[in-house]
Amino acid sequence: MPYKILDKKELAMNEVWYKIHAPHVAKKVQPGQFVIVRAFPNGERIPLTPVTWDRDEGWITLITFVRGKTTMRMANELKPGDELLNVAGPLGNPAPMKKFGKILAIGMITGIVEVFPIAKAWQEAGNEVTTLHVSPNPMVILKEEFENAVSRHIVEGFDLQPGWGMNEIAQELVKRAVAKVKELLENEHFDMILTVGPAGGQKAVFNVVKEFGIPMHADLHPIMVDATGMCGACRVTVGGEVKFACIDGPGFDAYKVDWDELIHRSGFYAPMERLALETYLKQLQAQGGEQ
Amino acid sequence: MAVRRKLIKERVPTPERPAEERVKDFAEVNLGYTFELAVKEAERCLQCPYDYAPCIKGCPVHINIPGFISKLVEYRDDPDKAVKEALNVIWACNSLPATTGRVCPQEDQCEMNCVMGKVGDKINIGKLERFVADYAREKGIDEELLFEIIPKIEKKGQSVAIIGAGPAGLTAAGELAKLGYDVTIYEALHEAGGVLMYGIPEFRLPKSIVESEIEKLKKLGVKILTDHVVGRTVTIEELLEEYDAVFIGSGAGTPRLVNAPGVNLNGIYTANEFLTRVNLMKAYKFPEYDTPVYVGKKVIVIGAGNTAMDAARSARRFGADVTITYRRGPEDVSARIEEVHHAKEEGIKFEYFINPVEFIGDENGKVKAVKFEKMKALEEKDSRGKRKIVGTGEYVTLEADTVIIAIGKHPNRLIVNTPGLKVERGKIVVDENLMTSIPGVFAGGDAIRGEATVILAMGDGRKAAKAIHEYLTKKREGQNA
Ligand SMILES: Cc1cc2nc3c(=O)[nH]c(=O)nc-3n(C[C@H](O)[C@H](O)[C@H](O)COP(=O)(O)OP(=O)(O)OC[C@H]3O[C@@H](n4cnc5c(N)ncnc54)[C@H](O)[C@@H]3O)c2cc1C
Ligand SMILES: Cc1cc2nc3c(=O)[nH]c(=O)nc-3n(C[C@H](O)[C@H](O)[C@H](O)COP(=O)(O)OP(=O)(O)OC[C@H]3O[C@@H](n4cnc5c(N)ncnc54)[C@H](O)[C@@H]3O)c2cc1C
Ligand code: SF4
Ligand code: SF4
Ligand code: FES
Repeated sequence: MPYKILDKKELAMNEVWYKIHAPHVAKKVQPGQFVIVRAFPNGERIPLTPVTWDRDEGWITLITFVRGKTTMRMANELKPGDELLNVAGPLGNPAPMKKFGKILAIGMITGIVEVFPIAKAWQEAGNEVTTLHVSPNPMVILKEEFENAVSRHIVEGFDLQPGWGMNEIAQELVKRAVAKVKELLENEHFDMILTVGPAGGQKAVFNVVKEFGIPMHADLHPIMVDATGMCGACRVTVGGEVKFACIDGPGFDAYKVDWDELIHRSGFYAPMERLALETYLKQLQAQGGEQ
Repeated sequence: MAVRRKLIKERVPTPERPAEERVKDFAEVNLGYTFELAVKEAERCLQCPYDYAPCIKGCPVHINIPGFISKLVEYRDDPDKAVKEALNVIWACNSLPATTGRVCPQEDQCEMNCVMGKVGDKINIGKLERFVADYAREKGIDEELLFEIIPKIEKKGQSVAIIGAGPAGLTAAGELAKLGYDVTIYEALHEAGGVLMYGIPEFRLPKSIVESEIEKLKKLGVKILTDHVVGRTVTIEELLEEYDAVFIGSGAGTPRLVNAPGVNLNGIYTANEFLTRVNLMKAYKFPEYDTPVYVGKKVIVIGAGNTAMDAARSARRFGADVTITYRRGPEDVSARIEEVHHAKEEGIKFEYFINPVEFIGDENGKVKAVKFEKMKALEEKDSRGKRKIVGTGEYVTLEADTVIIAIGKHPNRLIVNTPGLKVERGKIVVDENLMTSIPGVFAGGDAIRGEATVILAMGDGRKAAKAIHEYLTKKREGQNA
């Protein structure tokens, strides 16, 4: 079932936007849901989030953060007119759609793309939505789109320092997110908070929110394989029970999530992911050498 | 029936790759018969009369076993003709013989009461069936037969949606296509085949065989929509608006977990996740293939069914030291005898009468050991005829850096949550025609049985196809009247 790439562009540093022909997803997808993409015959199945879609024209858009082998290969090798091998979905449960009141929705770097459809729909459902994008400045995206979609959009940007790796960026992100969320919560009243994965930043934000006792909806990012409830890779402990994030989630009550377990589980394959990426980079180098 | 001159008591053996060699790769273990060997084994069959033959009674889909075996002997001078005739007999009841010949628990089915067993070895029906299918596939004889069938199909102008491309769905699809219905399969994963593709490993059932079965279905005009998750992409209600009938063959894909502390530690897999990574995603070829799997030095597999054997033998192929642990005794192991035998040959250890009570992790949240309670068996039997077991209060701890849980599965939740669909204990309830509580919606395979077998799933697919044909014939006639 090939799915044509109608358009593709680099939105910002390491952030790639794809417009994909996938009518079966476009027809049904709701904010909060995701898809599984497979791009290469020897590739992984990776979860990504439809950011916008057109039900009649049958397309969805995806934005990926180039972080590992699959997202890098997609960025390097796919061009408009090519096809993705698989786009399965929509998957997961839609985010709850009701009137909460004043909402703060937080995304870090590319996490903001997953916030977009939910925040937009919540605003349309009569909520007053503030979105907060914490990101290195060269990676700020969707600013205008958010400004048109919600009551207020805040960008908490920072410059990258020479010599910073992913770890330093992640530390700075968390620091900034925690400080900004604290400031907002101290000065304003909110009825609901939304965050999306990865788990490290989510947990840090949750620890702030918890002190204010505000309800918090967390879209979790455990590692997934099939995302149809068949494998259990995505299992998380919520309220003391084992849940499968792909069919029971991905959204859960942040107060019930076992964050440390989720953080451990998300990082389990890091050494192998690094090996895959390094092998790929070496291949690229070798190819470059031949030319 | 010609009187045989001499009883040949011993089975003609099928060549197998030696254990030391095969644990190093994922290539097939048993190499199967050549035509010559197959004829020799076929000659041993006593050709019991159709109404009596206990082998036919033992086969859940009642293949005319002496019928297909006799063709091999009858046309021994023309192998292609022999195989074509034999395949024709098998296809009357079973459209996936290359698969069933490999994975059926023959010892409990067709071969169980084979008359030859009274005087010597039972006939190797499974391997003969496999031979016919393999030879036919290699020589294109199966397609030849298929192309003889296709022009005779009369289009009915009605359509059926099939949910799930496992053995139940594939069989129903094939039968319905042959009856002239427009068939579309909705499959959640990126490849069709169900457990045959994601669960049963390459060394037991090469994926090229499953792929060739699926190609044949496509030639029959069956449409396969992968990446379509029923319950999300489309609901059963919506399918009913678009199609004249629906068949649910969504299997029993949800894994059961051990209810013990630490079950979410890293390094603890369900057999489904482990096997999906290894088979469907080809993690045994990482990093050439992108999906990783972690197999440590010491692997513990919990459970003793086919799934456990497959997980254990796959882990062994990564070079690990593998132990299968089971809370009951050797007499209750439910895996096929051949698999247990192969597992032992490959150096897999078995520990009986221990039941996991806790998974112990290190400071990084990774499993390092499993604590088990020692069990003992009572004389009293439970409802499944197995001896009841009780804990002894004594414990033993085994080290492990990878644990694979293979203790069974439930039907897919996305399907069983359909409004109006009657479900009992996770299984879809059907009547004697395999129709569910929703008119026009039929179901079969693991979705109605819980974890069962390939041949029972196929049998259901075939039976449901007949029932759907009757149902749609009435509907057609009703419309025409
Ligand atoms: C519900 C959901 C929605 C998501 N939506 C988006 C999105 O819209 N845009 C986006 O850029 N990213 C999204 N992600 C994360 C995305 O799936 C990972 O970035 C991607 O899998 C990385 O693959 P890789 O090979 O490039 O990197 P890798 O090197 O393989 O992995 C880098 C990190 O990504 C995570 N990851 C890897 N594989 C998976 C997997 N199969 N499932 C989940 N996480 C994984 C792990 O934390 C890992 O350490 C989403 C994840 C989930 C669970
Ligand atoms: C590891 C393992 C080894 C086994 N070994 C043997 C053996 O040696 N011999 C034997 O006879 N049996 C064996 N079995 C059991 C046998 O494989 C099953 O009984 C059989 O596959 C059931 O067939 P099925 O068609 O009902 O379901 P499945 O084979 O489970 O297929 C169901 C299909 O439906 C799809 N699906 C599920 N939900 C949805 C949805 N919502 N929308 C769309 N599609 C969906 C799934 O992705 C899957 O492809 C084994 C099972 C396992 C797991
Ligand atoms: S389908 Fe299975 S039980 Fe029936 S004859 Fe073939 S191997 Fe035996
Ligand atoms: S029971 Fe055995 S000997 Fe008799 S027909 Fe069947 S396979 Fe042949
Ligand atoms: S990803 Fe396999 S069950 Fe959720």
